Formats: sequence, structure tokens, C-alpha cells
Amino acid sequence: MTEGQSKVVFWVGTLSSAALFLGLTFDTQREFDRLTHADRLDEQVVAGKRAFEARNCNDCHTILGFGGYYAPDLTRAFDRIGAEGIRRRLEDPAREFAASYRKMPKQPLSAKEIDDVIAFLRWTGGIENNDWPPQDSQRRWKRSTERLLAGALLSPAAALLKQENCLACHALGDAGERIGPRLEWIGGKRDAAWIAQLLLDPERVQPGTPMPSFAHLDEGQRLMIGELVVSLAAHGREP
Amino acid sequence: MRFESQRVAYPYFVVALLLFVLQLVVGLYLAFSYFFTVPQAVVDAFPFATARAIHTNLLVLWILLGFMGATFFMVPEETGRELAWPRLAIAQLVILTGTGVAAIVGFLFGWTQGRPLLEIPRPLDLLVVVGALMFLANVAATMWQARRFTATQGSLLAGLVFLALLYLFGIPFYRNLATDWYYWWWVIHLWVEGAWELVTAALVAFMLIQLTGVERKVIEKWLYVELGLFLFTGIAGTGHHYYWLGAPRYWLWIGGVFSALEPFPILLMLVDTFRAEREGGRRLEPRLTWTFMIGMAVLHLVGAGAFGLAHTLPQINYYTHGSQVTVAHGHLAFFGAYALVNLTFFYFAFPRLKGLPDGGRFEERRGTVGFWTASLAVVGLSLSFAVAGVLQAYLERYRGEPYLVAQEPIRFWMALVFAHGLLVLAGVAIIAWDLLTLRPAAGAAKIG
Repeated sequence: MTEGQSKVVFWVGTLSSAALFLGLTFDTQREFDRLTHADRLDEQVVAGKRAFEARNCNDCHTILGFGGYYAPDLTRAFDRIGAEGIRRRLEDPAREFAASYRKMPKQPLSAKEIDDVIAFLRWTGGIENNDWPPQDSQRRWKRSTERLLAGALLSPAAALLKQENCLACHALGDAGERIGPRLEWIGGKRDAAWIAQLLLDPERVQPGTPMPSFAHLDEGQRLMIGELVVSLAAHGREP
Repeated sequence: MRFESQRVAYPYFVVALLLFVLQLVVGLYLAFSYFFTVPQAVVDAFPFATARAIHTNLLVLWILLGFMGATFFMVPEETGRELAWPRLAIAQLVILTGTGVAAIVGFLFGWTQGRPLLEIPRPLDLLVVVGALMFLANVAATMWQARRFTATQGSLLAGLVFLALLYLFGIPFYRNLATDWYYWWWVIHLWVEGAWELVTAALVAFMLIQLTGVERKVIEKWLYVELGLFLFTGIAGTGHHYYWLGAPRYWLWIGGVFSALEPFPILLMLVDTFRAEREGGRRLEPRLTWTFMIGMAVLHLVGAGAFGLAHTLPQINYYTHGSQVTVAHGHLAFFGAYALVNLTFFYFAFPRLKGLPDGGRFEERRGTVGFWTASLAVVGLSLSFAVAGVLQAYLERYRGEPYLVAQEPIRFWMALVFAHGLLVLAGVAIIAWDLLTLRPAAGAAKIG
């Protein structure tokens, strides 16, 4: 190879790659609005991003897979634990992680800033990013839940879930509301007896909970619901 | 050392070495936090995030100060004249070190831009820009006054200008998180797989020309090819960071294909180094400088090339993205490529700066111990991270276990990281001590 040829390699290599890269950057820039739902990106989301940056959250957590690796990825945190889950952790991490071997620092966040961060994470959860991360993939998750429900919902306990309208507050699979925790996530932490107790007297087991009492069911029915919820955790993931 | 103004490199190297040692100490705390439950009160006052910001910013600062010192040492030799403004070089060191120290103290009190690796608050960014402009002006003026341009110089200057320009993309506040990360990688990826590679290639070419006696034309011919391949694969290879951030799907192809080619230029650099060593026909002295140079070429290839290739394809990266696998790659690649190129240059420059007799031969025993301790320990540390990463990818990403459940078995491997980290610290401390107190070789005085 002569010196002249080596210069050609340098210039052709550099310029072709740069041209391709800048061209695609131009296109990506136009596509971002659609893929990130920029129409939902309002001032509250931006305020949330500022609060998120001001507290350096990203040097422990990853988001979109980037950042520190010391704490869970936040890309789909809103889907996973909901607004209330995020709020509880931000308000009093010492209580939330009292039993955990890894702690989260208490950040001086105002109530408004907490709402902003929630809005930011809600918006982030909607980014269309080729279905990453896999552990929160709706597609993968729905498949496993569907298999699970196909078996579980034939049971008498499933009929009780329906009769008592549990899904008006709790989500199960892709049905239900997100006021309480997902039913799949409860069994990872609690046993059937605890759930039966909660159904009997929610205020005593979890003071301040918005959960209504199901004291009108008999003991056996409450236990049956508890057992169903625990069995759902086989595929469920704890927040 | 032929020029008086090359001396300004010395304080740069000393500061860089001290910051390197400090970086490792903070790194130990990070590894410790993975296997030991740090109490809530400590976490509230000194979060992991703060320690990580300090660890990574010290890395960037010391590597860049090393590059700058090396540039100030190299440019007079290449141009054949004194630096344009040696005093400006010292002022620049004071400004940049001061900015770095202010930033780190600021982190401790929660003053941060809050974006990983770019935590330096925006007002301080202005000082960084001032320092960078002083640096570029000084280097460019020297080259301009000398009217002597070489490919090695060109690569160095292009790399440094590219480096400074890219930094600007990290300064604004981006409203959209996806756009934010898109341009964040223009700083991070295009630095380490673009601009920094140019600087490294230039420093290596310079040392090869000086040490081996191989004709400049031959070295620079291969330098062009290396740079062409680095930039061809590296620029479009940025796409391997765009798989999962909300960018269009074609990045899976662009990122996968171009970054799969990224090991080739590194391999070429390794082959070039061996060829120059063989063809130079000189007895290569001092041996330790060569040990560092070959160590750099090999670990650069393993850390950046092989460890990078292992998880760069989107099919694999879907499971490993944002896990400890990335960390394993990051540590070995940064040490192999950039820490070692700096240390190699220090071993090349220090005997000359200190005016050791007999062609700069020095007592090599301590440095050799330091090199092997640090290098083997970084390899062990990276392998520990890699096992942790594969466990995490399998348990959390593939099996869908909750984050903390998947972290539990990783704690053991993090303890191993910590143990290796202690050895890295010991090795680097020996190297720093050796460099700062370099002694002439035992036989040198008699021969001289």
C-alpha cells in the first residue's frame, strides 16, 4: 500500500461514515416526535426531568438503560409500580426500603416536584423503544399472563374476583385499573392468610389504605381469593 | 528532551497521576456499596450517585490532563520549536484542575447537572470551554509558527478539536429525554470511539517513531489507515447506543454492522506496534516502556474490541443493555486503551523530563511490579463484573425476576470486584510512586 492509497482509505472511510451518520441523524430527529409522543411532552414532564436531573437520580438508576446500574431501570417504572408506588418511594425511602439490603437516599422534593417526576416517568414509559427492557415488555408479559389466566380463571376464586369487582381497582393482565397494586405483584410478598386478613379488615392490616373491607365474604372465600392471588405471583414480578 | 517548554508537561502528569489514585479510592467505595448494606443515614448524606459522579469525572479529568500534558511534550518535538505560550499552558492546568476540584466539591453538596458523566454544572462548563480554547490556541499557534505539519500532528490536532467541539453537545438542557441521550452519546461515544482514538493513535505513532527508528513515512502511512478504519467504524457505530432509546429501527442494523467492525482498527494498531518493534532494528530500551505499550495494545483489543463485540449485536444487547456487562466492558476498555496509553506516555516522557543519563534508562523493577499487579487485577475485576452482568441479564432481563432478587447473587461477584480493586489501587500506587521518584538504572552511571 502506498501513502497515497492510505490517505484515500482515511478520507473515504471518514467521510462516508460521517455522511451516513449525519443523514440518519437528520431523519431520526424528525422521527423522534412520533416515537416519543412529543405531543404529550408538556411543561410538567419537563419540570419532572429537571427535578430528576437536579437530584442526580440517574447516577444510581438507569433510564432507557443509561446511567448508574445500582438501582432499577426507570424506563417503565410508571407501568410497573404506578403513580402511588413512585410517590411512596420518593416520600419516604427509609420506610419503603427498611428491609432491603440496598437503600435509596431521601431527596428533598416538594409535593409538586414529586408530581412532576411522576409525570416525567409516565411520559417516559410511553416511548416506543423497540420494547426494551425485556423484563417490562408488555408483549412478553401479556403472553405469560394469558397462559396463567387461562388456567386460573376457571376456578371458583376467579368467579369471586369478578363478583366482588376487584378489577375496578387492581390490574390483572391487561384488564383492570391501576389504583391498587397489580394482583400479580402481591403474592411475591404476602401469603394467602395475610391477604385474607386484609380482606377482612384492611384498616387494621394497612392503616390508611383506600382498600374497602370484604367482611361480608366468609373466611373460606377470603382464603380462596388469597390463594389465587398468591398463585398469580408465579409469573408476576414484584415492583 | 530537546526543548525547555516541554517541561510544562510534568505538572500535568503529576496531577493526572494523583487524580487517578483518587479515582480508584472512590471506585472501591462504589464496589463496597454493592455487597455491603450501607446504612440509610450514610446513604442520605453521601449517596452512591455522588460517589459515582466523582469516580467518573475524575477518570475523564485525569485522562484528559494526561492527553494535554502528552500533547505539550510531543508538539515541540514534532514541530521542532518551543511551545508558543508555555505560561498559558500552566494557567490552563490551574483553571482545569480548579474547575474539576470545584465540581467534585459541588457534587458533595448536590450541585450537579445530573446527567451521567456530564455532571459538571453548566456554569463550570464555561470554564472547561475556556481551558479547552487556551489549549487548542496554544497547540495550533505552535504548529502554525513552525510551519511544519506531519500526519501525526494532524491526527493529534484533529482529535483534540473534534474532542472540544463534541463537548458542546453535552452542555444544553434537552426537553426530550430521547434527544438528550441521542446527543449525550455524541460526547461519550464519539469521544471514546472517535476523538480519543485519534489522540491515542497519534501518541502511539509518535512514540514508535521516537523509539524504534522505523521511518516516519511507514508509521504515518499505517496511521492513516488506522484512523480511516477507526472513524469509518466508530462514527456510524454510535448507532449501537441507539437501539433502545426511541430512535427508528434502522439503527439496529447500522449500529450492529458498523460496531461489529470496530475491533479491526484496534487489531491493526496492535499489529502495527509489533511490526514497528520488529522492524526498528534497535535494541528497545527501556523494556518497561515496551511492556506498557504492548500491554496497552493487547488490553485495548481485549477490553474495547472483544468485550465490546460480545454485546454489541442488538439480539444480545436486548438482554445485556444497561447491565453489569456494560460495566465489565467499560472498565477493561478504559484501562486498556486510555489509562495505559497515558501511563505508557508517562514512562516514555518521565526519564526525558528528569534528564536521566544514558538515554534515559531507569530502574525498572518497581514499575514492572506495578504494571503486572494493576493490569492483571483490572482483568480480574472486569471478569468479575462480566459474571455479575451475565447473571443479571439472565435473571432480570431473561427470567423477569425483580431487580433486587436478581441483584442478590451478584453481591458475591461485587465483593470479588472490590478485592481486585484493592490490587488495582496497589499497582497504580506503585506506578505513581515509581514515576515520581524515577531513578537511573544501576549500571547507567558507569557506562555514561
